[in-house]
Amino acid sequence: MLCNSAMTSPVRSEASVSAVIDTDVKVMSYRDALHWTMYDALRCHDSVILIGQGVDDHKGIFGSTIGLAEKFGSDRVMDTPLAEEGMTGVAIGAALNGLYPIQTHIRADFSLLAMNQIINLAAKYKYMFGGKFNVPMLIRMIVGRSWGQGAQHSQSLQSLFAHIPGLKVVMPSSSQTILDTYSMVIAEYQGPVISFEHRLMYDLNFHVDSRTMSRGGDPFGSHVVRQGEDVTIVATSIMVLEAMRAADHLAKVADIQCDVIDLHCVSHPDWDLVMQSVRKTGRLVVADTSWREYGVCAEVCRVVAERNPEYLKKPVVSLAMQPSPCPTAKSLEDLFYPDLRQFVNAVAKLVLGNEAHGVQLPDTQSMADVYKRFKGPF
Amino acid sequence: MNSTNMFERLFFQALRIRLVEERIIDLYPSDVIQSPVHLSIGQEAVAVGACHSLTHNDLVFCTYRSHAFYLAKGGSLNEMFAELYGKITGCARGKAGSMHLAAPDVGLMGTSAVVASTIPHAVGAALAAKRLSKDQVIVGVFGDGATEEGVYHESLNFAALHSLPVVFLCENNGLAVHSFRKARQNFDILGHAQSYGLPVYSVPEGYDFVKVAETMSAVIEQVRLSQEAVFVEIQTFRYKEHVGTGEDFSCGYRNLEDCQSWKRQDPLEQFPALVEAFRPMIMQEIDAAVHFAESSPFPSIEELLCDVV
Ligand SMILES: Cc1ncc(C[n+]2csc(CCOP(=O)(O)OP(=O)(O)O)c2C)c(N)n1
Ligand SMILES: [Mg+2]
Repeated sequence: MLCNSAMTSPVRSEASVSAVIDTDVKVMSYRDALHWTMYDALRCHDSVILIGQGVDDHKGIFGSTIGLAEKFGSDRVMDTPLAEEGMTGVAIGAALNGLYPIQTHIRADFSLLAMNQIINLAAKYKYMFGGKFNVPMLIRMIVGRSWGQGAQHSQSLQSLFAHIPGLKVVMPSSSQTILDTYSMVIAEYQGPVISFEHRLMYDLNFHVDSRTMSRGGDPFGSHVVRQGEDVTIVATSIMVLEAMRAADHLAKVADIQCDVIDLHCVSHPDWDLVMQSVRKTGRLVVADTSWREYGVCAEVCRVVAERNPEYLKKPVVSLAMQPSPCPTAKSLEDLFYPDLRQFVNAVAKLVLGNEAHGVQLPDTQSMADVYKRFKGPF
Repeated sequence: MNSTNMFERLFFQALRIRLVEERIIDLYPSDVIQSPVHLSIGQEAVAVGACHSLTHNDLVFCTYRSHAFYLAKGGSLNEMFAELYGKITGCARGKAGSMHLAAPDVGLMGTSAVVASTIPHAVGAALAAKRLSKDQVIVGVFGDGATEEGVYHESLNFAALHSLPVVFLCENNGLAVHSFRKARQNFDILGHAQSYGLPVYSVPEGYDFVKVAETMSAVIEQVRLSQEAVFVEIQTFRYKEHVGTGEDFSCGYRNLEDCQSWKRQDPLEQFPALVEAFRPMIMQEIDAAVHFAESSPFPSIEELLCDVV
């Protein structure tokens, strides 16, 4: 059962982290949505434990777990040794014996040390034993970006996991998707879920439904976040926000109307929703936070090509990271990720059909500078 | 239970496991069992002794070499044969084969074909047992080779750090596939485990199920009371090849003489009269289980995509 009753504020040891959550809240940061869902899960379900390196420290996973150890005790909000595989195995064992573990990786990159447990064990336990076991657990992985995160602190590894049957992989793109997805997943879903949270979104404020916090519904749905007739943009995570910025700009300066779909559950997207949109617009842009090759971009193309390639009036365009490891120098990093100017240019070219489309492009500005609300290392 | 009684009971259980595996050996050339089998022949006493003091509420996590633990813990023989035959009536509906037997209703939890991978599950289950006051003892079973994996270290550390009710049970047959321990390990298994602050116990006479049962009984009692992790090593001997149903003494890497001297201590080899006394009853059960497997249907297409997520 969901537990959305009295939303008292969790104890915060760092006042600047966020405002107190009360029932009138209409705007909530990504971080506060995370904090709220963690708090709410611990409060509503005795079986929930939160485990990860630093979950109980003064920084609390970029503020998303601050104060929870003080409130719920160190046996429920547990710091862990530096042992990614072992701790994922511990989480699986705990899940098999009645707990609901929420595990954190402060960088998705570190989960690579836990691949054996995630892929060979968590993803297989239900099937391999003929349905005798469930492994209900949530693994939160944070995708770093900007300020020199570089090759090993910035990877967005959704396609590695989405490839594997047995896992559900989500990429919340707003505070509301966190509230909706995490609450339902923790309360009701019986399998392992991996969530990629984007570090650049932590400080952003979003409108949320002030009456219910979580709106219930399918935590693994895809969502149309903007309607338009000219082009479909399928996006993930922070690229949904970029798609919305591009769509606003294009509507304003060129009356190009974008249909934007937040894929959200990249392992099990709502393909019908995607196909309906492509049928309507005949044009498709895929914008993902990772590499094109063998990833979300490739998968969306596969499905369109297999289902109804005749819907497409033009070849698909994909926006993704350059095919290299992530560099650290800002001058290179800004080239490595697609920016708004490229985004708008790509859509305009696709819709208007030529290089010299004449649509006014936004100023070149690093995407990180648009979203980043912090200075110094994170 | 008086000691004769206990001996005979454990003897019966160990013999049952051996005869089940000998039936697998007989059936194997016919290809009705299309699954890699890692036989426990020679090692039965470990499982029988270890499970003696466990209740169905206590959980055991094992490896791909788990026919013995599955049966000793009380898993259904019918379902085991059906699983080996790939039938829908198997314990995992034909999705596990020999390497992933499970019977959670009697506390036989996950068995995995990735070396050392269920050791942290035992620790996590112990964490849950402690938090939820379940009065359970959890046993993690693994081979000597598994102690070389990093996750083994991670598991021992965490269990000791948080005082969790888990028994780490090392089934030391001295071999990982065809490699001897000395070729692989520059540490002493017991000393290493002790360095985490775990109490350690060793049973060199792993053929002696009574001795194993007595040691494990004391250990399990200790863990139940103290709620603290313990390490146990039981030395044992693998009579067959690593995987498959043959012997491999002619392959040049190990001595038949070592096996023969172990067999001279193995009660199942030393008490033929008792074997014969128990055999008919056990064979009847095995025949029935094989018949059950043979007469069960194969899983059909509905099963293929069932229980994925
Ligand atoms: C992670 C991993 N590495 C290698 C293998 C191949 N392998 C299967 S069994 C085995 C030996 C394991 O030895 P031990 O832990 O002593 O168990 P035993 O087979 O002797 O019971 C190996 C290396 C595997 N299954 N998993
Ligand atoms: Mg071995």
